[in-house]
Amino acid sequence: MAVRPGFVLEVDERTPPLLVHQGEGLLLEQFPLGTRVVYPPESLPGVPDVNAVIADALEHPHGSEPLRALLFAGMKLTIAFDDLSIPLPRMRRPDIRQRVIEQVLALAAEAGVDDVHLIVATALHRRMTAAEIEYVVGERVFRSFWPDNLYNHDAEDRDNLLHVGVTDHGEDVEINRRAAESDLIVYVNVNLVAMDGGHKSVPIGLASYNSLRHHHNSHTMLHSNSFMDHTRSAMHSSAWRMGRLLARHVKIFTVETTVNNQAFPEKYGFLTKREWEWSRKDQAMAYGMTAALPKLPGRQRHRLFQNIVADYQVTAVNAGETEAVHERTLESVHRQQLVEVDGQSDVLVVGLPYIGPYNSDAVMNPILATCLGLGYFFNMYRGRPLVRHKGAMILYHPVTPEFTQLHHPSYVDFYEEVLAESTDPATIEAKFEKQYATDPWYIHLYRTSHAYHGVHPFYMWYWATHGMDHVGDVVWVGGDRRACARMGFRAASTFADALEMVSGTVGRDPSITYLHSPPHAIADVR
Amino acid sequence: MGLRERLAGRRVYMTGVTGFVGEALLERLLSDFPDTRVVALVRPRGGQDGASRLRRQLRKPAFKALREKVGEGAVEKLAARVEVLDGDLASIPDIPADVDLVIHCAGEVSFDPPVDEGFTTNVGGVQELLRAARAGGASPHIVHVSTAYVAGLRSGHIAEGRLTHDVDWEAEKAVAGRARQAAEDASRTPEHSARFLAEAQAKHLRAGAQSVSRDAEDRRRQWVRDRLVRSGAERAQVLGWTDCYTFTKALAERCLEDSHGDLPLTIVRPSIIESALARPYPGWIEGFKMAEPLILAYGRGEFPDFPASPDATIDIIPVDLVVNAIIAAAAQTPPADEPAYYTVCSGFRNPLLFRELFEHVHEYFQEHPLPKRGRGPIAVPEWPFAGARAAEAKLRNGERVAAVAGRVLEHVPRSEKVRRWAQEFDRFESRVGFLRRYADIYRAYTKAELVYVDDATKALYDALDAADQADFNFDPACYDWYHYLQEVHFPAVTAILRRPRDPAPPKRSGVNLPANPDALAVFDLDGTLVTSTVIESYLWLRLADEAPAGRARELAGLAAVLPRYLRAERTDRGHLIRSVYARYKGADPEELARIIDEVAGDILLRRVKPAAIRRVRAHRQAGHRTVLLTGSVDFLVRPLAPLFDEVVASKLTVGADGLLTGKLASSPLVGDARAAFLDHYAGQVGADLSSSWAYGDSQSDIPMLRAVGNPVAVNPDLSLFRTAKANGWAVEEWPSTAGEPRAVAPSRQERSLFHAARTAAATLTGAGTGAGVGRDGGAR
Repeated sequence: MAVRPGFVLEVDERTPPLLVHQGEGLLLEQFPLGTRVVYPPESLPGVPDVNAVIADALEHPHGSEPLRALLFAGMKLTIAFDDLSIPLPRMRRPDIRQRVIEQVLALAAEAGVDDVHLIVATALHRRMTAAEIEYVVGERVFRSFWPDNLYNHDAEDRDNLLHVGVTDHGEDVEINRRAAESDLIVYVNVNLVAMDGGHKSVPIGLASYNSLRHHHNSHTMLHSNSFMDHTRSAMHSSAWRMGRLLARHVKIFTVETTVNNQAFPEKYGFLTKREWEWSRKDQAMAYGMTAALPKLPGRQRHRLFQNIVADYQVTAVNAGETEAVHERTLESVHRQQLVEVDGQSDVLVVGLPYIGPYNSDAVMNPILATCLGLGYFFNMYRGRPLVRHKGAMILYHPVTPEFTQLHHPSYVDFYEEVLAESTDPATIEAKFEKQYATDPWYIHLYRTSHAYHGVHPFYMWYWATHGMDHVGDVVWVGGDRRACARMGFRAASTFADALEMVSGTVGRDPSITYLHSPPHAIADVR
Repeated sequence: MGLRERLAGRRVYMTGVTGFVGEALLERLLSDFPDTRVVALVRPRGGQDGASRLRRQLRKPAFKALREKVGEGAVEKLAARVEVLDGDLASIPDIPADVDLVIHCAGEVSFDPPVDEGFTTNVGGVQELLRAARAGGASPHIVHVSTAYVAGLRSGHIAEGRLTHDVDWEAEKAVAGRARQAAEDASRTPEHSARFLAEAQAKHLRAGAQSVSRDAEDRRRQWVRDRLVRSGAERAQVLGWTDCYTFTKALAERCLEDSHGDLPLTIVRPSIIESALARPYPGWIEGFKMAEPLILAYGRGEFPDFPASPDATIDIIPVDLVVNAIIAAAAQTPPADEPAYYTVCSGFRNPLLFRELFEHVHEYFQEHPLPKRGRGPIAVPEWPFAGARAAEAKLRNGERVAAVAGRVLEHVPRSEKVRRWAQEFDRFESRVGFLRRYADIYRAYTKAELVYVDDATKALYDALDAADQADFNFDPACYDWYHYLQEVHFPAVTAILRRPRDPAPPKRSGVNLPANPDALAVFDLDGTLVTSTVIESYLWLRLADEAPAGRARELAGLAAVLPRYLRAERTDRGHLIRSVYARYKGADPEELARIIDEVAGDILLRRVKPAAIRRVRAHRQAGHRTVLLTGSVDFLVRPLAPLFDEVVASKLTVGADGLLTGKLASSPLVGDARAAFLDHYAGQVGADLSSSWAYGDSQSDIPMLRAVGNPVAVNPDLSLFRTAKANGWAVEEWPSTAGEPRAVAPSRQERSLFHAARTAAATLTGAGTGAGVGRDGGAR
């Protein structure tokens, strides 16, 4: 069955109110006539037999011998895999990573390999809890390997990091020692969006702070146009250089998987459908939820959203040499997400959903919301941004100044101390990054508790650098005024007010584009 | 002959030169009587001898014009004209033989001194003065400054002259002298001791025995003082005086009359002395006298009514008129056997009714309202003059409300809002207390519908030559009340409140902690660093391995005993800690440590206050030694241990079976024990407590906070909040992180995964094999 491609709607008199995400809330908004609405392609069908596709990929890899041929008794094998930052929401079990890892392990057992380590490629993300790891790798793998041979990467464990070399750009390549000293690294990813995968997997996922700082900085990130296009992203270029150096040093067998657009379960089907095609049931759900959510106590609302599990279907599995694999992976991602859009507009509107890569089981604090809006959604383009240079961006999110202290301790201080002084990424970087990155207490929490690394909020802020630099005005609809002001933005109570506020930048009658997402859509702006 | 000539060449001995009238008198003598030599009795005080106190006084505004006239080195030149004798009224050095005039301005000016102090100063003072004069061989004319109100509770016209009463001043003085001993004795009876202790315990038990006993002793001292004050006031009223002040002043006159012998005696009786009409400059006033607090309270809109009859005369007299009258009286030596009496007052010749005074005040504040920062001018109330009874009823209502509100406040849970209420309440209470105090003091004065007659003073004035009448005017009819009150007095009194205040200093972000390797930074845990209680942390551990049914059971069991625990908590924090820790009996310490590492530690970290952690780290950066001082058990605080150089926590004892006994290895460190610990610890590590910091959140932390130089109350409970305010300690609000729910239980799923892995590992090691896919038997 052919699925309908991505589509740009022009709002006319017959257009019903459109669904907009606003954190842990949903709105139905009537957009001005003429607003362009970017819808992603409909969900591609999943492959009928996932296990067979995986087996085939491992058996017939791109640019590499079959995995079977790379395994031998007595070897050191390390399997690394993406952490809980993807996919979002988490996918219904079994997770695709579990299926791949199980087959890799089976092949390894056949070959008599008995030195196997499984490492969660967390980089500077928080350590995953036992339950979270178990969810990803499945009960069998977890039981056999955890905790001694299945564990989180530790970017601060000096004894277990290896400085592999320096790229021709002078970038340190330093990754997990066990991985670097293995005879083979098998990396298992979920390529949710075009930004993921490729050389972003091993060189970043298993790196130390010393290595990460070369591409995770305000300068590099300002020159990444966009993150969704690795050929035009300075950050990705750096990772690619590192990956190539690494590939000369250690054998890496990459397994990349892609999923379709079914980001929500059947019950919440209206979230992935076009509004005018809603069934009675969808309509009832949509109106019911938009009305009921604001009345729920915050904690229950939070639980309702965090419990959502996506019905993702696997659309492709590719294995082999990293770059050859990634090329095919991107094709698959683009097939699902790319939408052709004709030209830029004055105003870009996005509704930020309840979850981003860094708030699994946590609240989305103002810094994460900024990163999600100006870092991720703004970058959902190929070619040119959806919004013109010095245009305006209108985001829907409550921007509540709340933090999950366990996961984001340095965020709290970043918000209270750093943002109080400056919101300019370069200034912040020069003045504060080192202090936060080397703070012993943050390092202690990162290594022993479930906290993001002390420097992580800086990276979040740098992610937004390109967006902040490109647009002339940022207004948050429904945002907490104090929090928005702290971050150098403005807040509006309604979309109409937001338009009024940006009229100084874009005039009274601006062209507007609403990026109807999630599910993800990458705008191919012509 | 003019006054200057009459006093020229004379040697004047003055007491009370640092007082209100004395200062004005000294200024006048130094400015206008160049040929009069002054000897002054000055009490050394605050490490300064009499001479330096005098020099300091000469720099005050009252002497400004004079200093300018003298020019270069004015203070030294003026000081050289005054011979200072160090001493006080209890022991006056012998008065030099060549002194021929004594002006006695010194005295107890408080209306309600403890009775023994009132007598010692006012009656004992004049006795000592006479003794010193005679011992030095001087035979001076004595001018005694008394008060018009020595007349006591009477009505109608009061003439000048010897008071008509037959009170035996010597007997009264002797009794007053014994009163202190009696009160001290009574305060130490077992009944009273028990009461003081019980009251102190009700307030301070949580802080520990030291704090209780300190408070009990404070209560005893206060009781003695109150009792002596009451003795004076009651005795005065029994004998027909308004209060202890007028009573002792009256008896001082009688003492002088009885003992002055061949020394000529003049008694000057001013009424209510207020700011200067002209000299040293219009509106000069020093400190707050009788009516100023009331005027200011009225201007602030805090004075709804006053129990006074509107048509009673209020007798106010400017200070320079009093000074002039004293000088004139001093120049007029009466015969030794015929003391002279002069009442300096306005009530007879230039009467001001209470209603008129109110109208002046009201009009003045209507035209010149006091500013309130950020709120514009303050509105002032109309007084209904509803009569003493209605005003009294209103006051009593206020007191009742205050009492109830106070009790309520002590029982509401703490929060920033409650602390704000408490502050408002304290202000309200002190306002009510203020009104009560003044209503009581003034009741007698305002009820007494009497008029002082000043014929003798008028005659004294009339006898002056014309030039002196102009220069040393003390005719109370010489001024107009509108001018004096609205143009001179009120502006002078309210000036201080009108001075433009410096804008509030900008709030500093962060704190400035000076580097100091000798400083400690001591932190309390529950409530200060972390929003949690001993009970909550117990539950985190206890519920970790329980299924929902077990959790419910444990919660229900705890809920049943909780009220008892909390009652105990109100009086003894140690008791609560012991009761909760007793519930750990039979737990495996290793298992508890694992629960902390695996699940419960996370909850603690969720509850940590970010501002607290920032502060701990700021102290570390400044090189201070950080100490966590808590009654919590040691394994509970492990997740926070890396922040501190020293963690001092409770330890539970382990029985022979390796399980916890539920008993503490030593007493929990709470209340006084913390202060004692700090003292010892500082000695051990060579730290300096006076430059150290301590952070606490509750009453039981007060001893710890008292022990250091920089105490900080963090989200304090009411009792600590008030202590902090009273002692000028820093009070900080450290919010807990928004977004972290309060009621959380550890994840059972997480725990069971750890548990399963441990069991598997144990089996595996037991079997000694390396089975399983790719398993290498634990290389890591």
